[in-house]
Amino acid sequence: MRDTRALILLIVTALAAIPIITGGTYYAFLGIIVFIYSIVAIGLNILSGYAGQFSLGHAAFMAMGAYTTALLTKALATISFFAQTGLHILLGVICGTIVAALSGIILAVPALRVRGPYLAMVTIAFGWVVWKILQEWVSVTGGDLGISSIPKPQIGVLRLETRSFYYVVLALFLAALALQVRLVRSQFGTRLRAVKYSEIAVASVGIDVYRLKVIVFVISAAFAGFGGTLFAHQQNYISPDNFQFFSSVFFLLAVLFGGAGTILGPVIGAGVLMLLPEMLHDFDKYRLIVYACLILLTLYFLPNGVMGLVTRRAKAQGATDTQASGDDQTAVVLPAVSGAELQIENVSRAFGGLIALSDVSVRVAAGSIHALIGPNGAGKTTLINIVSGTYRADSGRINVDGADAKITSMHMAARQGIVRTFQTLKLFGNMTVIEHVVVGKARHSRVGLWDALVNSRRGKEEDRRQLCEAKALLRLLGISHLERTPATALAYGHRRLVEIARALAVEPRILLLDEPAAGLVAEEIRALAVVIRKLKSMGMTILLVEHHMDLVLAVSDRITVLDHGAVIAEGEPADIRRNERVIAAYLGPSHAAA
Amino acid sequence: MSYWIRITRLAAGVTVASLAAIGSGIAQDVKLGFAGALSGPASFVGTEIKRGAEIAIDEINAKGGVKGRKLVLISRDDEHNPVKTVAQYRELVERENVVGIIGASNSASMLAVAPIVNDTLKVPVICPATDATEITENEAQKQGRDNYLFRVGMYGTGQGNFMVDTMVKKFGHKKVGLLTWTGGWGVTGRGELQRRLKENGLSPVADETFDNNDTDMTAQIIKLKNAGAESILNYALVRENTFVVKTKEKLSNNTPYVSAWGIAGPAFWKAAGDSAEGVLTSTTVTIDGPQSPERKAFIDAYSKRYNETMSAAVFAVGAYDAVYLFKAAMEKNGFTPAQIRAGLEDIPQFKGLIKNFTRPVFTKDRHNAVTEEDMIMARWTNGKLLEVKFDSKGPYVELDENTKKYIDKSTMKLL
Amino acid sequence: MYFFLQIALSGIATGAIYGLIAVGYSLTFMTTKALNFALGMWVMLGGMLTYSLNVQYGIHPLIVLPVVMVALFALGLVAERFSVYPFLRAGSDVWVMSTLAVGFLMIDLAEIIWGRNPTPVPPFFGKDPVYLGQVSILPQQLLIIAAACVTFVGLDFFYRRTLPGKAFRAVSHSGDVSSLMGINTRRIEALSYAVAAALAGIAGFLVVPLTLAEPQMGTVLGLKAFAIAIIAGLAAPRGILICGLLYGAFEGLVSGYLYTGIRDIVGFTIMIVALYARPEGIFGRRQEERA
Repeated sequence: MRDTRALILLIVTALAAIPIITGGTYYAFLGIIVFIYSIVAIGLNILSGYAGQFSLGHAAFMAMGAYTTALLTKALATISFFAQTGLHILLGVICGTIVAALSGIILAVPALRVRGPYLAMVTIAFGWVVWKILQEWVSVTGGDLGISSIPKPQIGVLRLETRSFYYVVLALFLAALALQVRLVRSQFGTRLRAVKYSEIAVASVGIDVYRLKVIVFVISAAFAGFGGTLFAHQQNYISPDNFQFFSSVFFLLAVLFGGAGTILGPVIGAGVLMLLPEMLHDFDKYRLIVYACLILLTLYFLPNGVMGLVTRRAKAQGATDTQASGDDQTAVVLPAVSGAELQIENVSRAFGGLIALSDVSVRVAAGSIHALIGPNGAGKTTLINIVSGTYRADSGRINVDGADAKITSMHMAARQGIVRTFQTLKLFGNMTVIEHVVVGKARHSRVGLWDALVNSRRGKEEDRRQLCEAKALLRLLGISHLERTPATALAYGHRRLVEIARALAVEPRILLLDEPAAGLVAEEIRALAVVIRKLKSMGMTILLVEHHMDLVLAVSDRITVLDHGAVIAEGEPADIRRNERVIAAYLGPSHAAA
Repeated sequence: MSYWIRITRLAAGVTVASLAAIGSGIAQDVKLGFAGALSGPASFVGTEIKRGAEIAIDEINAKGGVKGRKLVLISRDDEHNPVKTVAQYRELVERENVVGIIGASNSASMLAVAPIVNDTLKVPVICPATDATEITENEAQKQGRDNYLFRVGMYGTGQGNFMVDTMVKKFGHKKVGLLTWTGGWGVTGRGELQRRLKENGLSPVADETFDNNDTDMTAQIIKLKNAGAESILNYALVRENTFVVKTKEKLSNNTPYVSAWGIAGPAFWKAAGDSAEGVLTSTTVTIDGPQSPERKAFIDAYSKRYNETMSAAVFAVGAYDAVYLFKAAMEKNGFTPAQIRAGLEDIPQFKGLIKNFTRPVFTKDRHNAVTEEDMIMARWTNGKLLEVKFDSKGPYVELDENTKKYIDKSTMKLL
Repeated sequence: MYFFLQIALSGIATGAIYGLIAVGYSLTFMTTKALNFALGMWVMLGGMLTYSLNVQYGIHPLIVLPVVMVALFALGLVAERFSVYPFLRAGSDVWVMSTLAVGFLMIDLAEIIWGRNPTPVPPFFGKDPVYLGQVSILPQQLLIIAAACVTFVGLDFFYRRTLPGKAFRAVSHSGDVSSLMGINTRRIEALSYAVAAALAGIAGFLVVPLTLAEPQMGTVLGLKAFAIAIIAGLAAPRGILICGLLYGAFEGLVSGYLYTGIRDIVGFTIMIVALYARPEGIFGRRQEERA
């Protein structure tokens, strides 16, 4: 830790010394441009690198910031109050950043509904529209010839020339970097990374994914806009040329090359891509070829970018250490849970012509384990989906403790205490086990983004508390020793347990387990049964969908049998075993008599 | 051990020797800089400027240089991007120590660098290509400070005046339509044309625009025709103009078409072919038709050196003259940037390729070498750009020294 | 009325080009869930090749067409192998950057090989316009519209009636299952890219006599075609063709009745709204996320 701090100090001193050592304005100028581009790239990194939302239109936000401050400061510069104090520059920068952030909302709204190439298209279209407006709205933006004579940066009466402005921009750049660190290391950052891997899983633990994405778009746009304002005052001249599609591609390339989802990645990317053409004067003709080869080489050999290569080595060393620690045998204090009663009333759902559920009613007593069984295609998973808010029912109600739960979405269901696990595991890539569980704690978080950014005491306390509770859950499920293991390195049975741990972190009152035994071997199923019984002893209500009859019969209090979307039997395990209709449904009518 | 000592000594020796060589070179050479588009769609402009400058520099060096010192051209590709132009100008002045710069290919770039040149870099720049008026009519000029920007090419206000005045007064067209490019200098051009029409007591019958991606101008042409335009005035480059004339042909439209100097080079005929017949363009220079011996020599030197014909002669010629203007200033006043700047304002006569200046090329108040009186209108005739001259019978072109063909004022066809 | 017809007709011809290119996007997306993001540059390559063969070497267009198709088909196979296949596993959108990189490479190489000046290619059926009543249209434009119609019919036939077409559809539903059924999924994936490249080449061949052959000609075409493919729905090739024609006409009408500058602003804004309203595309089918 001390080494890192010393290294940072060394680098900052070196950067500060550059204008003094090199003399003239050329290197200071280059430095300013690199810092500004880095700030924009950092913003894009948060959105695309961490949250996985690839944006190819970020130059538009930079333009928003730049043009806002250009127009505002030019207008205010004529007023003597501002000319004396230089406050119009500050005002311009603030307003530019705000305008950019607001336009982040405008892009977020359509962008949130789409993914992959569709998202790419929306961002490209947005960038294009903004660029075109800059070109066409000549009376305001000056059209293609842009705005010139933008006031120079000014503090008090002092006009900052390039060499002095360098230090201001350096400080702002370092601040942006620090902000990124804060953001990424906070709970907010963990949730962002989770979103990249599985939005559905994040929603299932009660996080409003929509809201999260809007926030991240706004933050990203603010960074870019801020960079744009600095750019405008540095260059004193802006035109739509600076904010084209290729500029957006440049920023994304910088993020990918430097290392998407790493702290220093965007800085390295922006630095190299900006400085490379300056160094390679003779390769003017081959500029695009150089860029193309750079992209391809990065993708082949450095898929995680330059910084990805560096951090991967570091993590590999870290991972081996933690596997040594054994299972923590300290007694676990189980929190008491007040399981709720779940009443499914007359629920129906059809998909086009296929009727998945028709008039299904199930009553799950509070604190009991209720199993839902039936042959494939019976509608079990559909029912779970409806209760957990993944789908909406066509008709019918879901009551929790007697009151209509009015479930409209997954995260609303989670907030009512209904949490589920998934038949096909939805984990968060190579995030660690403990991080998975901490994400689950989001619902009970009392602190917001602000606390994360300023590293408040409240925030730190909550982080500590949540970490403790998460560790307790891991102990409960017997996987403490895997705390720092990336999910991708886990055995299949352990992955199931992680998903359950994550669901438990939400402190559900009704837990929906969707085929938790799928893919487990006999020994693991026995361990799973122990866990399920433990949960019941805590007071939780559990609705279990399963095919493994031994597990079902071993743990359930009551069983409901579905076939072709309707309930064909309900009762205690012993009765269901002998029920003729059930046997017929599973094995065919001829076996019913046996 | 001794192996390493030997290597180190060898390296040191090589370093010292090369430094000495470079050093001795620098002491004598005079560096001129250039940053312009050498790649991308506008690269033909930048390339022509660079070539014109290179031919001039080699000629001068062959004759012993300027006061015994050789000229060197340091060029950069700014990719038509003003941010790069600004960075490269700083680099050229502060690291390469150039004492004069040949202007860029992009008006936006020049507008971006102008304040920095006058406030910080203080090195004279002569622009052969960019015509936005504010490049030379800049803050420094207005405030009476030393203005380091000069221009030997067309300049916006003058070109606008010339185009409108020619069509209105010499061709007698009162109903004029505009068709301009929304990019870069098309915006200022449109402003200039509108202004001059207003000053003539007229307004455009139609004011159409198009952008970079338009390949089909059908709607605009039809609207101009419906408005009754007697001629169409245009500001655009080769590419867009090709699409316009092709569209006109598709619609069988014969309205006279007048463009600013973007198409004043063989590239236009190459691209548009016969469709370009009859198009007028304002320019300072055309290399077709009867030429002066100096021009002929330049055309030969170009084709010999680069193995192709010029695609935009006006820029190459402008760059050539710019270098010679620098030479004249240096010979008169000295080699520092400030001295060269002052020297440029003090050239009473100059035999340039653009024209033979019998008045001062630049003055303190006028940094544009070429004014409306120096501009010419030229007509694309069978693959050649011929100057349109006027006599008592009307406008005509000279196909060669002996043949004169008059032009119909309402269709621009040859009579 | 004449005005409306004239500009609508010109617009439809442009739209046909968008449609032809856009179909290429759909072909590759359906089989690999990735696409050649720089398809526009391939159009440019087709155009430049056409220029070389037709103008520089004087080869007749009827022979140029198959040569261009075969050349781009082969190049498409190569490009797919090196810039798409290695990244299909990643699950992320990395192929966006890799295919873009190939596109950049092509632009620079084209500038080096053919120079930067825009050069003309003579229209295949002469310069004289054809008159439909008062409305004039170039024979080349008619050719383009005809090509789009042929492609439309051809696609339908291909997907419904031919065995390879059915294999395509199988792979687009599930590559793993298809390979279990004996379909060489890998070959289908590579083929889809090669065919998309060939289609792009045809588009370039058809459009270059209307515009000019230059290295930058493909970029905007490719982007707009991409937008159209997205709006129509990447999995609906015939819907894409229709959307292309409509969008071309729309562009022409906006330019005509309002003014050109606003054309892209309106167009792309409508696209953003359309994607918001129907994220799977107009002709696409909503994929319920099965939990």
